[in-house]
Amino acid sequence: MARMKFLLDAERCIECNACVTACKNEHEVPWGINRRRVVTINDGKPGERSISMACMHCTDAPCAAVCPVSCFYTTADAIVLHDKDLCIGCGYCFYACPFGAPQYPRVGNFGSRGKMDKCTYCAGGPQADNTQAEYIQYGSNRIAEGKLPLCAEMCSTKALLAGDGQVIAQIYRERVQKRGYGSGAWGWRTAYRETVAI
Amino acid sequence: MLIKRSEARAGKQRLAAAYQGLSSGGLDRRAFLKQAGITGVGLAGLGAIPLTTVRPAQAGPMNHQQPVTRVKNICTHCSVGCTVTAEVQNGVWVGQEPAWESPINRGTHCAKGAAVRELVHGDRRIKYPMKLVNGQWTRMTWDAAVTEIGDKLMAVRQASGPDSVFWLGSAKFSNEGAYLFRKFAAFWGTNNVDHQARICHSTTVAGVANTWGYGAQTNSYNDIRNSKTMIIMGGNPAEAHPVSLQHVLSGKEANRANLIVIDPRFTRTAAHATEYVRIRPGTDIPIIWGMLWHIFQNNWEDKEFIRQRVYGMDDVRAEVAKWTPAEVERVTGVPGAQLRKVAELFATQKPATLIWCMGATQKTVGTANVRAYSILLLATGNVGKDGTGANIFRGHCNVQGATDFGLDVTTLPAYYGLDANAWNHWSRVWGVSYESMVARFDSRQMMEMPGIPTTRYFDAVTMPVNAQTGLAQRDNFKAMMVFGHGGNTVTRMPEAVRGLEKLDLLVVADPHPTTFAVLANRRENTYLLPICTQFECDGSRTASNRSVQWCSQVVKPIFESKTDYEAMYRLAGAIDAAAARRNMPFRMREEMFRPYEIRDNAPVAESILREINRGAISTGYTGQSPERLKLHMQHQDKFDLVTLRAKDDAPAEIRGDFYGLPWPCWGTPEMRHPGTHVLYNTNLHVKEGGGTFRARFGVERNGVSLLAEGSYSKGSELTDGYPEFTTAVMARLGWDAELTEAEKASIARQGGTASWATDLSMGIIRVTMEHGVMAYGNAKARANAWNLPDPVPVHREPIYTPRTDLIAQYPTLPDRRGFRLPHLGQSVQNRAKDLAPNFPIILSSGRLVEYEGGGEETRSNKWLAELQQDMFVEINPRDAAARNIRDGAWVLVNGPEMPQGKAVRMKALVTERVGPGVAWMPFHFAGWFMQEDQRSKYPQGTDPIVLGESVNAVTTYGYDPVTFMQETKVTLCQIRAA
Amino acid sequence: MRALILALALILAAPMAGQAQTAPQVSGTPTSPTPMMPPVADELEVLKALQGGRVAGRITIPDQQAASLIQPQGRSWRDFHNVTLAWVGGIAVLGMLAILVVFRMSKGRIPVEGGLAGRTIQRFNGLERANHWMVASTFIILAISGLNLTFGRHVLLPIVGPEAFTAISQWGKYAHNFLAFPFTLGIVLMLLLWVKDNIPNGRDIKWFAAGGGLVGHGHPDSERFNGGQKGIFWITTLGGATVAVTGYMLVFPFMFTDIAGMQLSHIIHSIVSVLMIAVMLAHIYIGSIGMEGASDAMTTGQVDLNWAKQHHNLWVEKEMAKGRGAEPPASARAAGAD
Repeated sequence: MARMKFLLDAERCIECNACVTACKNEHEVPWGINRRRVVTINDGKPGERSISMACMHCTDAPCAAVCPVSCFYTTADAIVLHDKDLCIGCGYCFYACPFGAPQYPRVGNFGSRGKMDKCTYCAGGPQADNTQAEYIQYGSNRIAEGKLPLCAEMCSTKALLAGDGQVIAQIYRERVQKRGYGSGAWGWRTAYRETVAI
Repeated sequence: MLIKRSEARAGKQRLAAAYQGLSSGGLDRRAFLKQAGITGVGLAGLGAIPLTTVRPAQAGPMNHQQPVTRVKNICTHCSVGCTVTAEVQNGVWVGQEPAWESPINRGTHCAKGAAVRELVHGDRRIKYPMKLVNGQWTRMTWDAAVTEIGDKLMAVRQASGPDSVFWLGSAKFSNEGAYLFRKFAAFWGTNNVDHQARICHSTTVAGVANTWGYGAQTNSYNDIRNSKTMIIMGGNPAEAHPVSLQHVLSGKEANRANLIVIDPRFTRTAAHATEYVRIRPGTDIPIIWGMLWHIFQNNWEDKEFIRQRVYGMDDVRAEVAKWTPAEVERVTGVPGAQLRKVAELFATQKPATLIWCMGATQKTVGTANVRAYSILLLATGNVGKDGTGANIFRGHCNVQGATDFGLDVTTLPAYYGLDANAWNHWSRVWGVSYESMVARFDSRQMMEMPGIPTTRYFDAVTMPVNAQTGLAQRDNFKAMMVFGHGGNTVTRMPEAVRGLEKLDLLVVADPHPTTFAVLANRRENTYLLPICTQFECDGSRTASNRSVQWCSQVVKPIFESKTDYEAMYRLAGAIDAAAARRNMPFRMREEMFRPYEIRDNAPVAESILREINRGAISTGYTGQSPERLKLHMQHQDKFDLVTLRAKDDAPAEIRGDFYGLPWPCWGTPEMRHPGTHVLYNTNLHVKEGGGTFRARFGVERNGVSLLAEGSYSKGSELTDGYPEFTTAVMARLGWDAELTEAEKASIARQGGTASWATDLSMGIIRVTMEHGVMAYGNAKARANAWNLPDPVPVHREPIYTPRTDLIAQYPTLPDRRGFRLPHLGQSVQNRAKDLAPNFPIILSSGRLVEYEGGGEETRSNKWLAELQQDMFVEINPRDAAARNIRDGAWVLVNGPEMPQGKAVRMKALVTERVGPGVAWMPFHFAGWFMQEDQRSKYPQGTDPIVLGESVNAVTTYGYDPVTFMQETKVTLCQIRAA
Repeated sequence: MRALILALALILAAPMAGQAQTAPQVSGTPTSPTPMMPPVADELEVLKALQGGRVAGRITIPDQQAASLIQPQGRSWRDFHNVTLAWVGGIAVLGMLAILVVFRMSKGRIPVEGGLAGRTIQRFNGLERANHWMVASTFIILAISGLNLTFGRHVLLPIVGPEAFTAISQWGKYAHNFLAFPFTLGIVLMLLLWVKDNIPNGRDIKWFAAGGGLVGHGHPDSERFNGGQKGIFWITTLGGATVAVTGYMLVFPFMFTDIAGMQLSHIIHSIVSVLMIAVMLAHIYIGSIGMEGASDAMTTGQVDLNWAKQHHNLWVEKEMAKGRGAEPPASARAAGAD
């Protein structure tokens, strides 16, 4: 069974935001919901690096651990998904998530949260694959079609890799060996409690 | 295998049923347009979405029970030329997939490319023609609109002559659209036709064409993978051409190459550099000469290359000698040791390439900058080989093609110029008599006189007519036809407003109402015509690397929008009808569109391209038949990533071709020239895409030969320099006998003599290629271009410079005339000198990855607009602290030419991206003008999501002497907390 | 808090920044930082440099929460929520219930000494009682819906199933969010009404020393409110204020604070809440079935005189002196005496 992961090569990321709009396009994600985003650290200084971040689909996912209504589940590919019909929008997953992945549409009068929304690794939700109902709640389901997340597929410099953890770690390892430098697989230690050994 | 919980949750189907009504069976086109356009699901509707949904139902999703059509088109944003794979169902564009097969983007996109589907959602597109009636936008039909426009154009023509209409075309046109628009202006009888290249790379075209022959990128994005050293100077491709960075960074990694970024601003590109050099804005030439000083000093130059292939390098040496490390540091701020290192890397770690964009070109010394860059490449022998060259990244998706097809005030298509030879050539191609073309103009003199560039259109409206001191044509501009062009991209906007207000007619033909539609306070005689994007249109477009890619219509034009072709066809008809009503003999449509196949009231793109193939001989736009281009798109996966060449497993029809048949692709399509991946590459046979420097400037000057010495392309029968080929040269070599009877007959029909570029039979090219010889000759590149204002580039301080102490030594050019207008230099600089103390901060401008050009289109795209919601100015922490400005706070900025008491208001981005004393603004914003919010002036529902102040409300006077390129990169401003 | 993010970014950048700031003074003349090897922004190194702090940077979207790239504190919060809070809450609530059971078993119901007098005295007026019940009822719902968020998935979810549990929790969330407002209003009113009688003094120490009358003989002197009641009052008002303030932080996410503030708000809110719940269990017990005569105070407002003398002797004396003495039972009133 594949263990799906994201891997961001910060030496390649140029903050072009293709991953962000590809995600918006593929799932018609509305304004204000950012399933993926790019953060630039050390902006404007030598050592500046941009890092594209979304749900990392953690091992032992903190969101699932703290969810009061147990709306999360993990697929056989280790993708962490949730059931919006169960979510109550409490916001706990945001407090626990190391990566700020959960997003909440604003509903009601005082910024109260609607159902949580987050990166699905383009794997939809609990409904039958690629149905209207699944699309409307979660967006499209590329995994069921045998495709990978569109953010990674469209990454302009191929900085963002998605796929089986071992495969993408190997790609990254070869890249670092070839060029002689790398700034680590961002988020891996936090998400998967491991790093890519070079 | 995924764990689906659907089995356990039959209850979920209730929800599915609830949404069935929204889109049962997938959307059909009619339902989609209805939803998208008329009800218009705006952002405000968000609150109404059921709690469990992420999105209001729109064009998606795909219905997996129904067939999906995949259509390939090219991204309509930058010049990289990324293939877009569109998934279409029922005439609705429902999804984008990675185009893995494209050797250019290999599936990838930037933010804009990944969001192009939104362009044909059409939320904020112009949906039907409109005009201003007493200041209110009023709907009308296409027929009524073009009839009124045709009438008003003829009124202007009757009263003021053809030169009083300004035809502003677009780099967003397809090649066929651009060509047709240039032809339209010619048939209207004016050279006042221009497009965005004026303000992006006109100086590049002038600079490199004057150096070695053609005004284009010499190599390609893919070829950068071969480079060992790359200098990116005056460019930020990480934001402007993100997909190009795939090749740059891969090359950097694979070759452990040096990536040197020379820029006043620490850009996203600089973040990935191995060496970053921060310069004072406007000091490019001292930097280049400073590098050459070290190169000559240490004998790092390529002496053999210079001897064989370069003319006038000694004149450069004399100028370079003045730029000692101390002087360079005094002027530019860059320490000698750093520059020495960069020079050594560039000259010795070869192949090396120089990449530039608008940081080099948008200057009062733009052409000179480009020339200096080219000379650096020549001195180090870094031209005409893999991994070398001038990798000029053009701006718009088809700015290269639109330039090639002469949307330009100085030339007919394919750089033939405006002289009688050029007009004769194109008259022959068009199947009309030369005399009939002359009759369309005010006079033969005006026919051969360059027109007025887009950077100065408003001066041509307001300036008094006077051949010595003012406007040198019969009358001012009275009407302006704007196709696909933003109104905020040209400097001196406060003056543009005055010009726009004086026009008798303003027509904006665009998918979006651009700034032109709202900037001025016009109340009548202003029209908006809905034009479709290139995704709703067939045609070819030329990427920056000269590869021509065929784009297929993804969906039919949405709402009432029309293709450029149809708009021009209808307009020509309307003009004819108006002329008939006025009893004027003038007619356009019949003669102009006669060669084309007309279908659905529009000329068919393929038939236009075939005419281009017959006529654009000088640039080798002749081999790219629609059939060949379509085969390339179909078999994209057969081309090599680095060489761009179709591999052995490719079908025979394309085997050996370079991807997109990068021009020059010589001769007829049947000759199967593969296109030219790397220009001037003597290591290849001309039939394989090899070449030499072009003999464009004669054979000798002051007794010195201009032809190459001992250098020739592989397999050439002539082993030394030679001039360009004419029937006379052919006869002298005895090669004329090799022309076929048909070719001879064709030449005879055109009068018995022809040059290679005007020989419609293309026999001269065929025969010379058989001999391994380049029809355009084999010359030296020119380090000294004697026809330019500065034959050898010299440093000239920007007009608005903070270093007033350097003006005496490095003054700008004296006042002069050009393009029918006065061109001020020193008089403005002398005035600016006194203003400088009040405006202590240098203002530069540039690009954001999310937006493009004037930004109306991208700021209307909700997926992009969300990412940049405010106009901002980057300011160094030191300057911010001195002004008590916090990051994210509102500031007021004013410039030395803004009206008294006015300022622009935007957010401060306090960052070390810019050095102390330098501020930087993105140029994509409009809709606020000197603190006036103009949102209400847009037709309802078409206002871009994001509005903001335009940097060009602050920018100032300053033009390149050769092309009238505007100065956008160096002016002065003052910033204060709001 | 944005400043904090920036500060972190600056700390992170400090070694590099020093290099870039050696600026010459001529306007527009550049600085030339010349890194020989580009500094590496390795995740592990960055996290180490920040000593476990948040990795934050610059982002173009307005949501500044998104500028936080990695916040390792999420893990601490998770530990708090899943472990600490569960234990503290469990021990506090179940422990208090256990204590009350033991107390009841050993001591039984606290009787009114000397039996009921049959005469009553006005202890709380209508406003006081209405306010008390507003606070009490909202508190109970807040408490139950709050406890549900922590314990519901273990206790209720397996019984009612996911859909029903979500429905319950969703309504619980709405109730929790909206009832926060009357609860807060009640707390404020409570403070205004009763603060003057709840100023702690020396007598309270004696009261506590006497265990509220449970230790030794005789009942300690007490004014309108005894030490224990003052304790309840201050726990209710101060604790209520704390949960209210932190609660509003949570109801208006990120309006006043960043992720760290949100986590801290939640921690304070939940700990104070479970402790208050435990205390209120005791209060409810004593005020209802635990003590004879006590419930009258908040139902009719009229307490038995003997009960009053036993628990609030000084207050009764004062009331008597003011002439607002005990009234005969309502049944004893002459018809039409009003």
